[in-house]
Amino acid sequence: MLTYTLSRLLIVAATLVVASMVVFAVLELVPGDPARLMLGMNATEDAILALRTQMGLDQPVLTRYLDWAGGLLVGDFGRSYTYSVPVIDLVAERVVVSLPLALMALALSTAIALPVGIFSAAGHGRTADTVTMGASQLGVAIPNFWFALLLVYVFAVTLRWVPAGGFPGWQAGLWPALKALILPAIALALPQAAILARVTRSALIETLSEDYIRTARAKGLTAQKVLWTHALRNAMIPVLTILGLQFAFLLAGTIIIENVFTLPGLGRLVFQAINQRDLIVVESVVVLLVATVILVNFLVDLAYAWADPRLRTR
Amino acid sequence: MADSLVAPGHADWRLFLAKARANRSFQAGAAITLVVIAVAALSLFWTPWDVTKFNVPDRLQGPSWAHWFGTDHFGRDILSMVMEGSRNSIAVALVAVGIGMGIGVPLGCWAAAKRGLADEVLMRTSDVIFAFPALLSAVMITAVFGPGAINAIIAIGIFNIPVFARVARGAALSLWPREFILAARASGKHAGRITIEHILPNIANLLLVQGTIQFSLGILAEAGLSYVGLGAQPPATSWGRMLSEAQTMMAIAPQMAIAPGVAIIVTVLGLNLLGDGLRDIFDPRLRRER
Amino acid sequence: MAPVLDIVGLDLSIGGRPILKGIDLSVAQGEIHALVGESGSGKSMTALTIMRLLPHGAAASGQLLFNGQDLLAATEPQMCALRGDDIGMVFQEPMTALNPVKTIGEQVAEGIRLHTGASAAEALDRARGMLDRVGLPEKRFALTRYPHELSGGQRQRVVIAIACALNPKLLIADEPTTALDVVLQAQILDLLRELVEEQRMGLVLISHDLGVVADMADRITILKEGAVQEAGKATDVLLERKHPYTARLAEASTHVPQWTNRKAEPGEPLLTVSGLKRDYPGKRTSLFARGEPFRAVDDVSFSIPAGRSVGLVGQSGCGKSTLARLILALDRPTGGTIHFDSIETTGANETTLRRARREMQVVFQDPYGSFDPRWTVEHLICEPLHLLDRQPSRAEQREKALFALEEVGMPADALTRYPHEFSGGQRQRLAIARAIITRPKLVVADEPVSALDVSIRARILDLFAKLNDDLGIAFLFITHDLAVARAITHEVMVMDHGRIVETGPTACVLDHPQSPAAQRLVKASPDLEKALARRLMA
Repeated sequence: MLTYTLSRLLIVAATLVVASMVVFAVLELVPGDPARLMLGMNATEDAILALRTQMGLDQPVLTRYLDWAGGLLVGDFGRSYTYSVPVIDLVAERVVVSLPLALMALALSTAIALPVGIFSAAGHGRTADTVTMGASQLGVAIPNFWFALLLVYVFAVTLRWVPAGGFPGWQAGLWPALKALILPAIALALPQAAILARVTRSALIETLSEDYIRTARAKGLTAQKVLWTHALRNAMIPVLTILGLQFAFLLAGTIIIENVFTLPGLGRLVFQAINQRDLIVVESVVVLLVATVILVNFLVDLAYAWADPRLRTR
Repeated sequence: MADSLVAPGHADWRLFLAKARANRSFQAGAAITLVVIAVAALSLFWTPWDVTKFNVPDRLQGPSWAHWFGTDHFGRDILSMVMEGSRNSIAVALVAVGIGMGIGVPLGCWAAAKRGLADEVLMRTSDVIFAFPALLSAVMITAVFGPGAINAIIAIGIFNIPVFARVARGAALSLWPREFILAARASGKHAGRITIEHILPNIANLLLVQGTIQFSLGILAEAGLSYVGLGAQPPATSWGRMLSEAQTMMAIAPQMAIAPGVAIIVTVLGLNLLGDGLRDIFDPRLRRER
Repeated sequence: MAPVLDIVGLDLSIGGRPILKGIDLSVAQGEIHALVGESGSGKSMTALTIMRLLPHGAAASGQLLFNGQDLLAATEPQMCALRGDDIGMVFQEPMTALNPVKTIGEQVAEGIRLHTGASAAEALDRARGMLDRVGLPEKRFALTRYPHELSGGQRQRVVIAIACALNPKLLIADEPTTALDVVLQAQILDLLRELVEEQRMGLVLISHDLGVVADMADRITILKEGAVQEAGKATDVLLERKHPYTARLAEASTHVPQWTNRKAEPGEPLLTVSGLKRDYPGKRTSLFARGEPFRAVDDVSFSIPAGRSVGLVGQSGCGKSTLARLILALDRPTGGTIHFDSIETTGANETTLRRARREMQVVFQDPYGSFDPRWTVEHLICEPLHLLDRQPSRAEQREKALFALEEVGMPADALTRYPHEFSGGQRQRLAIARAIITRPKLVVADEPVSALDVSIRARILDLFAKLNDDLGIAFLFITHDLAVARAITHEVMVMDHGRIVETGPTACVLDHPQSPAAQRLVKASPDLEKALARRLMA
């Protein structure tokens, strides 16, 4: 188990390093002078020079990468040019919106998908199964931002139950803040739940045809009990894979959904930064999101070892 | 069981047709996909209205005989725009799948044939790429090169590479120890030739199914990217852009959001049904039936 | 005394297709009743009908009395109460029969808790006792082990422990040893026999192997295509062979082909192997260290003369198949040399190897996996022609293919068909056609008949004998089945833990084995005639 964890950790570390290099390298590709790009056409030479020094553009590439990566490690993401504040402050301010949103969506999607998937697999081939799977087929096809528009129209514009967008901030109280996140979370969660339910169902159906299920039935266990005590845990292995992948999609999805609901999260930050050509902010947010995806996949790997003892002895 | 349906000579094709005839999901998916492609092709030559011309007096109309899906805030015909937009969606998704397949499949086959270090490097590289959802790649590319439809293609295409590489590798790895491959090796054929003669034809089904899935994901991703302005730019029409314009009119003209949204759903649904149908038809567990 | 199980006129159909037709079967307490037949005879379906674990769409009728209770009329809760308590079942494939994410202790205790209402600790205690009884003492096999930490034979013991944990009145064992090698098979059969005696249960032993049955069974029922052919006392049925089908099965399972070359003198050495070694890297023990490398083939030296048929026998995992791959140059040795037909194949490049490969072909075990499903038979059996220096024209290829088909007794119209259109035995003939199309001097056959039913196996052995007579092809025959080695080889080599421990003329080695490994193998091998002789003496 220790070997497994350590070897996964090593891979995670290497992936993080390579991913940060990729982000750094892509932004190095900026045609021309990044300082000029950021400041626009009518900037003075002095201002450009000052920004160049601040960004360390007079240093060799390797030094700049090491400085930047070293800074990331201690939480120093550099200074945003347009906001003139440390990027970490900007990120910290926005992450309290994006992260709760992604987590809410993940929890919601799992809470819907697992029961539906299990229910469908247990009644495999019956009408209820056909209906739920038909609905999930539709759910998979719905783009989350379109669904979000629909929700806004129904619940915010027509029924006026929740605000159509914006975020009052957590200081406004737990309930108003949560209320602002409910629709975005639902919009993110439902299409993902449809995918997850389908995966759960097919994993469970496949597991139920395994030889050891027959062994368990030959012990005298009822079909119901076999499903819960033997099949479910084995079926969790593919479900975990999808769950890990989904987190990446949810995170990316928040960027889009924040735009539908004008939530002041990382997604909004990144788009503002693109418009203002604030490359430092773009770079930092992308690296942060990529790192989160990698770490979540590491957690999924550990969960594998929990679900499957065969991995522990490796 | 299906063996009796097969005449000598055209075994695979006949078997496929026999199974396809019994598979509703395949039929529905294939029909929808064909219609979508036909509409896209038609829009190359003809749309009911010219989408480049503004007709402000007719703006924000509801559905009518002249404008089946109504008009937008510039008075353009929404049906015509949906038809135009289909081309963009299909082109982006298709090229992205092409990039993924064209690079990913050879890489995956190569890693499976070589094993060892080559395999390890490929898998770790794909780990890195998987950490960049298409949206993040698009954000980076846009930040550097400015917005454009090419961004969407590159971003989605890059994400497709490891997907196809992994599918091809996994399937090829399971074939290499098979006895018919050993027999080919005992006949002195080298790895490249075996890959082309035996491995690729046997994983083609799987790649086709995966291709359909990635195609539908590509349509969704393209819509998302152009919705947030990272994809197709005006004056090009795309479903995602139509929705982002519809959003600003949500309070007064909600019908503007209906047609492009439904177009995305129907296209993706069709492709998914087609993929599911193909998977059922090709299912190796059914193939093994004796 | 009333029988434990009494089946009268059992019919079964699945999806409207008849599977069983009027089966009668009666098993008494403490009796081993063998259910014998070839594949598709309905043996396993009979077992699943008794357990009422049939697939969807199955309809059974007739009388199926267990202890006087009609199982076909029993409700699902009633069946759940019987399964695992009064009726236990052991399956064929031990590698997949256990849940990979639960410990063996949990899996044995689960049924005990369910049926006795015992506490977790009590159930685990009984499970401990049962696992000890089946030969997995807690000291060496902790209850917290997972199935993947056990070998196939050990897993089958766990399955038996699960089935017998509550002293069932009836145990059904569906080919319990088919997936194991002969030595493990003998151990598992001994265990089953002991448990039947101790617990006085009735055992339905499903098997395709008359040798096993002759050794174990009190009574026997022979099935063919879902109908009973003959039934009675095992020794009587197998000795008298009154029913023609019984006679045919018995003949096939001890079949020795007509083979002129059997008495031929050995020729010049064709294949010479000396000091051959193959190491596999050890399991990773930590991030940076690996365990000791595993030596699959250890200092093996031998030679095969031209035109000779040599058997390679041994337990599973002894290195037989690795050795075959090394000889075929499909794998590279760690040390030692192989000379074939005056070419050194070890370390040779593919260009040099082409000359050797042309003279050396292969037939594999699995008749279903040996062919690319997307190629026509013509294409498939012509694949080795790739090795010829001058590529034959299409017409020449077809001619060669037709000739090869004729030699293996397949019709010419097979050429344009696909492999899935043929039965297992026919496919094995096609595999042989592919192997002989280049007129090789040596064919390596890796368990070529072990996936086939006995009657088909006999015909394939005849074919091998004919090819040796007609074409003078030498064989390296890898098999775990000593009856096959006896039928078709001049000499045998016994392999054990990567080494060749004994070599000699087939009859000498198999009748008077010298090394402990060979003795173990010979003793464990089921043999119809010997078993019957032994039973008559007793």
